[in-house]
Amino acid sequence: MSPPDQTSEADFQRLFAAEAEGRLDTLVDQLLELEKGGSNPELVASLFREAHTIKGGAAVVGMPHVARVAHALEDLLEEVRRDRRAVDAPLIDAVLAGVDGIRTLIPLAVAGKDHEQAAFDAEQRLRLAVSGASAAEAPAPPAAAPPAAVAVQPPPPPLAENPPLRSEPGMAPPMAAASPAGASPIATAAGFEGGSSPPGPPSENAAAADPLAAYGGTGRSSTAETVQMPVHRVDDLVRLIGEASAATLRLGSALLERLGRDPSSLTEYRDLVRSLNELQELALHARMIPVMSLAPRLRRAVRDLARETGKQVRFETRGEDAEIDRGVLDRLADPLLHLVRNAVDHGIEPPDERRLHSKPLEGIIRLHAMQLGSEVVIAVSDDGRGINVSRVREAAGLTDASAIQMDDEAALYLIFRSGLSTATRVTGVSGRGVGLDAVRASLNAVRGRIEVRSDPGAGTEFRIAVPITMATLRCLVVHSAGQTFAIPLHSVRAVLPPQPSTTVGGRAMTMLDGRPVPISSLASVLGTGNGTDGPAVVVAGLTRSHALKVDDLVDQRDVVVKGLGELIPPLPAVAGAGVQPDGSILLVLEAAGLIERARRMESGDRASIAAAEGPQREQPAPHRAASILVVDDALTVRELQRSIFENAGYRVQVANNGEEALARMSEERPDLVLTDVQMPRMDGFELTESIRKQSAFANVPVIILTSRASDEDRRRGLEAGADGYIVKSGFDQGALLTAVERLLGAER
Amino acid sequence: MASVTAPSAVPGQLALLVPVGRDTYALSLDTVREVVVEPRVTQLPTAPPVVLGVFNIRGDIVPLLDTGLLLGLSPVMEQPYAVLVETPHGVAGLVATDMPLTVRLSESVGHSDMEGTTETYLVGDTRLAVALDIPTLLSPARISR
Repeated sequence: MSPPDQTSEADFQRLFAAEAEGRLDTLVDQLLELEKGGSNPELVASLFREAHTIKGGAAVVGMPHVARVAHALEDLLEEVRRDRRAVDAPLIDAVLAGVDGIRTLIPLAVAGKDHEQAAFDAEQRLRLAVSGASAAEAPAPPAAAPPAAVAVQPPPPPLAENPPLRSEPGMAPPMAAASPAGASPIATAAGFEGGSSPPGPPSENAAAADPLAAYGGTGRSSTAETVQMPVHRVDDLVRLIGEASAATLRLGSALLERLGRDPSSLTEYRDLVRSLNELQELALHARMIPVMSLAPRLRRAVRDLARETGKQVRFETRGEDAEIDRGVLDRLADPLLHLVRNAVDHGIEPPDERRLHSKPLEGIIRLHAMQLGSEVVIAVSDDGRGINVSRVREAAGLTDASAIQMDDEAALYLIFRSGLSTATRVTGVSGRGVGLDAVRASLNAVRGRIEVRSDPGAGTEFRIAVPITMATLRCLVVHSAGQTFAIPLHSVRAVLPPQPSTTVGGRAMTMLDGRPVPISSLASVLGTGNGTDGPAVVVAGLTRSHALKVDDLVDQRDVVVKGLGELIPPLPAVAGAGVQPDGSILLVLEAAGLIERARRMESGDRASIAAAEGPQREQPAPHRAASILVVDDALTVRELQRSIFENAGYRVQVANNGEEALARMSEERPDLVLTDVQMPRMDGFELTESIRKQSAFANVPVIILTSRASDEDRRRGLEAGADGYIVKSGFDQGALLTAVERLLGAER
Repeated sequence: MASVTAPSAVPGQLALLVPVGRDTYALSLDTVREVVVEPRVTQLPTAPPVVLGVFNIRGDIVPLLDTGLLLGLSPVMEQPYAVLVETPHGVAGLVATDMPLTVRLSESVGHSDMEGTTETYLVGDTRLAVALDIPTLLSPARISR
């Protein structure tokens, strides 16, 4: 699942700008109406909805600053709605100022210009209006925001619903206790020894103003010693050199075959190979940038969020010399941002809580990078409260009974499950909708892995390991039914010697780390042969593992992976192929596709395999043609969701509000309903209740998607009979699709 | 690409005769890149039946397609030759069960109704060759069927 590219985000931003313009006009009209007529609950409710819709839209199209201002506006109107704030001139002034603020900010956001400070100012004015202070008392933003301004912010949401601060008996990998100085023992234990480094590169301030500048290389001018060039030229160079190297190897085998000369005995040939190798290394190096070029962005996020949540946090970096392919680093930006925000939000305790536990008031978040062979390992660690494994287990246990029996280490990894992250993270300063499952999905896209370790009371560490470059893929090569296949090493969990399998509930299972894993032969999964008694390769997809029996393990190889071309339909089980030096083709398999195929085969449903893997380019595959009804009064959100689901192969219907949704449903029963909360005429809760009351729709899963994340809302949603509750935010279609797929899968 | 819009074979033009089982097909030389003898094919599991596998041509990975199945006829039993053709979606190999030969086409003797074909030509005294319409025949949708 690839995220929409820049173009489509820009498209949606423009769409949102047009929509917001209309809504802001409505807001002003209604506001002036309100000023004339005094109290009018309906009008106030409508004003609130408009502000809310703008907030939701802004968050979804990736305009967080606009969303924050709209949020403040919404909060102010909420005060009015709850009769806690009278409609008077200062209030109208404040709302109008907020509207004007948003009006100015949106074009800046669309143009990609810096508008953070302006947004902060606008937000502060609104916040002060909420607390009843006048604009004259406005603080000097941003660093010195006084408690008065902070106090009206929602309290920081806790990790996994308020982990209590008791220690967990039987916590799997015991880690050193926190030292009084606050140095993270985890980081040290994890192999990040070495001197501490200054907190950030010197260019940090400039980079913070334009976070992309430092890492995108924009705005750098060419000098006598540097040349600027488009990235694709370097990419072309890398690709061509790769092809030249491959051609040289083929030349070598041709020499041997046709002339009977061993090419390695020829000095000329050896020189050519050596030069090409050097060239390849140089070209790959041209794509490398320091991992820490991301640090300014992350530091900024830490600072902002710490200020927002009233915490004291120091951000430290180490590993300035670790470099990585910029294509890989691009894809790491969001996951790292998410982990760092999580660390501030959920990891680091508020100062008084830290005092209670004799910890330094200032928490520490560390970003460490180091190169290990062909991988770069990046660790995000904090010295906060750690992850409460029991709570994670409990939360997961609601949907998966097996979670209750898991040991602590296994249970800790439940935080990467989509269901869990959406279910437990409903409030959200850091909960920008991107769950840890999405982090893992992003990492999977760059063939990376993530590990987590946590010590209650002492801190948490997330370690990400990614290949330095994606130009080649390290694979395990196996024989199966007379054919040779490569399995990407990043998806191999373990290799098991030949062993008997047991049958559990009709499925063949083997044990790995004390847990049962389904097992079948690779040949039968691929349909190329039958069972074998050879060793088994345990592959892991995003959510499941599966053991695949093969005839032999051959070796490990770096494979330059190519696609299979446009003529062949996409094959979920085949990632691509590489041309070997002897001219043969080595197929590279895809773990997730294999697991899915194996799973379908076990259910004896060959027809569904064919259906699932049928033509996906020309028409939506049958198994995905499930229909989704998207209910949202915001055009931008509706269209964005429509595009996300249609791209994923679903059929999409849309409705403007609850009433319209029910009308649509009576025409055609959707397979799933995704609804906003705040809507005119009939809101999402009422819609959910109405759906649940009708027996024809009793089994239609309902997901409530909202930008308003309060416990009360969530409780109401679940009481109304919703199957899921997701906080929407910028382009998090990974989590959304996962949630939808999960619910549809459960229903099927 | 000229071969996309131009007819696949035109009277008076050179064409490659491709034997497939008992039938013979004609391909405009404009669409043909080369003929490979005994392609070394790697089977492609999970692919549609018409895809016999992939083979390597100078570092490029090219699919080998069953010409018989592609035309809705019986599958080929062997793959001694691969005719490399250019399509709007990339290069593909079509199986020829005997050595393809180049001939100059005479006037069409009739239209061919079979999907993915155009005209029928008389080649030699008694042999008929049906001209293939490569863009229609080798569309991803058709291959996925």
